[in-house]
Amino acid sequence: MRKRRNPNAVKIALFLTPVLVLFTAFFVYPFVFTFVASLTRWRGIGAMRFIGFANFGKLLGDPTFRLAIRNNVIWALASGFVQVPLAALVALILAREPRGWKALRTIYFLPNVISTVALAMVWSALYNPQYGAFNAIRGLIGLAPRNYLGDPATALVSVIIQGVLYIGYFMIIILAAAMSIPRELYEAAEIDGATTLQQEFRITIPMLRGTLVTAITLAMAYGMRHFESTYLMTGGGPAYATTTMGIDLFNKMDALRYSEASAAGVILILLGTLVIVGIRKALGKGDPMAEAGQ
Amino acid sequence: MKGIFKRALGVVLVALLALPALVVAQSPSKSGEIVLKWPCIWVGKDSKAQAVAEIVESFNTANAGKIRVEIEPQPDYNAYEQKVRTSLAAGVAPGDIFTIKLNATTKEYYQSKLLMEFSKELSGAWKSSFDAGALAQSTVDGKLKTLPFETAILPIWYNMDALRKAGVAAPPATMAEFWTALDKLKASGVYPMSQMTGDVNAWTSMIWFSHFAVSLGGQKVWEKPFTDKAFVESAKLMQRIFKDYTTPDAVGAGAGVSGGHFLAGRTAVFANGPWYAGRADLRATPFFPSVTIAAAPSAGPNKGIMISRLQANIAAGETTDKARRAAIINFLKYLTAPENVAKIAKSSGAMFAVKTNYLPEDALQKQFYTIAAASKTTATDLEAALGAEATLEFAQQLGALVLGQITPESFCAAVERKIDR
Repeated sequence: MRKRRNPNAVKIALFLTPVLVLFTAFFVYPFVFTFVASLTRWRGIGAMRFIGFANFGKLLGDPTFRLAIRNNVIWALASGFVQVPLAALVALILAREPRGWKALRTIYFLPNVISTVALAMVWSALYNPQYGAFNAIRGLIGLAPRNYLGDPATALVSVIIQGVLYIGYFMIIILAAAMSIPRELYEAAEIDGATTLQQEFRITIPMLRGTLVTAITLAMAYGMRHFESTYLMTGGGPAYATTTMGIDLFNKMDALRYSEASAAGVILILLGTLVIVGIRKALGKGDPMAEAGQ
Repeated sequence: MKGIFKRALGVVLVALLALPALVVAQSPSKSGEIVLKWPCIWVGKDSKAQAVAEIVESFNTANAGKIRVEIEPQPDYNAYEQKVRTSLAAGVAPGDIFTIKLNATTKEYYQSKLLMEFSKELSGAWKSSFDAGALAQSTVDGKLKTLPFETAILPIWYNMDALRKAGVAAPPATMAEFWTALDKLKASGVYPMSQMTGDVNAWTSMIWFSHFAVSLGGQKVWEKPFTDKAFVESAKLMQRIFKDYTTPDAVGAGAGVSGGHFLAGRTAVFANGPWYAGRADLRATPFFPSVTIAAAPSAGPNKGIMISRLQANIAAGETTDKARRAAIINFLKYLTAPENVAKIAKSSGAMFAVKTNYLPEDALQKQFYTIAAASKTTATDLEAALGAEATLEFAQQLGALVLGQITPESFCAAVERKIDR
């Protein structure tokens, strides 16, 4: 029996073609090129020389790159399990529509529309050992000043704190989902004598499970490719204490080590994929993204 | 109707895909006129911008209808370096004329067939107008693919108002005088020196380290393994300076912070190149008239060596078109003519690899020329000698060194591992 042709096949193809062309040009081709380059010795000039997986071996044996992977994992965990819970907490409070909640919603979201460069400059000033606000507070309570960004013991924590405090993006996602939960459920719970806390734990959080998993997945993916604010605040230092895979990759490009930078890029993509798949496997039930993929 | 719609949509899609090709096509020029594109960093607020624009304008007027040089403004230095790097990697010359900061890393560009080789054309009076040492530094494996243009010496800057107030009459010439001066400055209530470990090169501190290393190990110290005694001793000196004589934010600080302390009078001793002399905020400081430039105190037996570097070399895109090649050479000869170089030097305070009779009238700029002339010889700095990767390692490990987390020996071993010999 002859298979019936989809009458909309041409239209579907027409609508998909531009995106497919762009996706191929700006993702598939660069990824394939990056992978091929990672198997060569190439400094950006002249011909590539095939050397197999030597760049990967070199990278994984490099203490700086291993430190970068560790830092990215810390960033991913902090983003997924500190930033998102903070965002969820604020979203749950705002979803109750307390007085001034709309203004608070705007205030929390505001940093997301401010340039990362400007925020990094502000935080560098806050952390400054001579005239920074944090050291002024330390001074008031009789503590000696600290060079938060210049001390390897505090630098990573300091840059992560400035990163995870900006909860606006995830707060908006969670708030939107929380506000779409039918009010009748809460009214029924109230009639049954449930406290506010019980309502949050028994109704809101279970209903938000999919959204929370999506938010954690996104936050961890951002954490795995973190670059901007750390590069601006510390350049990955001191003594590579705050370096990330993105910073290491950028530095390798700067030193014309294109093939090693490509290998770092491939590892970054693979680890990022691994984290996303891992999180979806671990927490995926109820996640619309995971369910869509099944 | 349906067919017409499909065909129209097809045409639109093809046009959209072809758009980039149309955009990158060369701009139209008058018949027979050769248009040379120059992506240029000397634009906008750059101190060389006006003089360079005037030189290009006068060249265009003199060659009207035959050659026209068009400046493509590239005011961001870092973005410009990235543009050059990625263009060459993509197999396209960044322009007909462009500039490169030549160092151990960027010398890789000489392997590219996209760069014009100047050996044939550079002869006679044109060749002798260049400083021979700068030409030698710009020659790689017998090839001259860039012309040395802007150079710089990297001496030490002193706020003499602060030094005199602390009881120091003149810049220190020996290490003993140097430590005494720092102690006196500290006692007077200022942080003696600007230092830094941030950015990709720990710029200010890298200059100090270079002075110490060259003074201890000689002009060719960079050819030695980084584990050499000269580097270990230099690392010990840096440890002492960071421990006792610099600002609390020096570890992690960038060039802006380091320079900012000097400009604000919080520190009294600083290291940088001649371009800093043209800064309006420096000239606005109350201590500006007292600023004195001097060679670094000698830490070792090699005295009178000034740290210098090639700041900008001129490159050109290779072409098989003889007329175009001739036009490029024609312009480069004009740009590097001593009278034009003197014009740029006068307006900017920068120093050049082209010999001119120019002597600055400005007191601070004059000091640079005097110091350069008084030097027995020059040696390059760490970044220029060892390239980007070793310099980044230097900057990163310097933080650990001065915080006492690693020894000078392990600091030097870490940098040595990153040197691509």
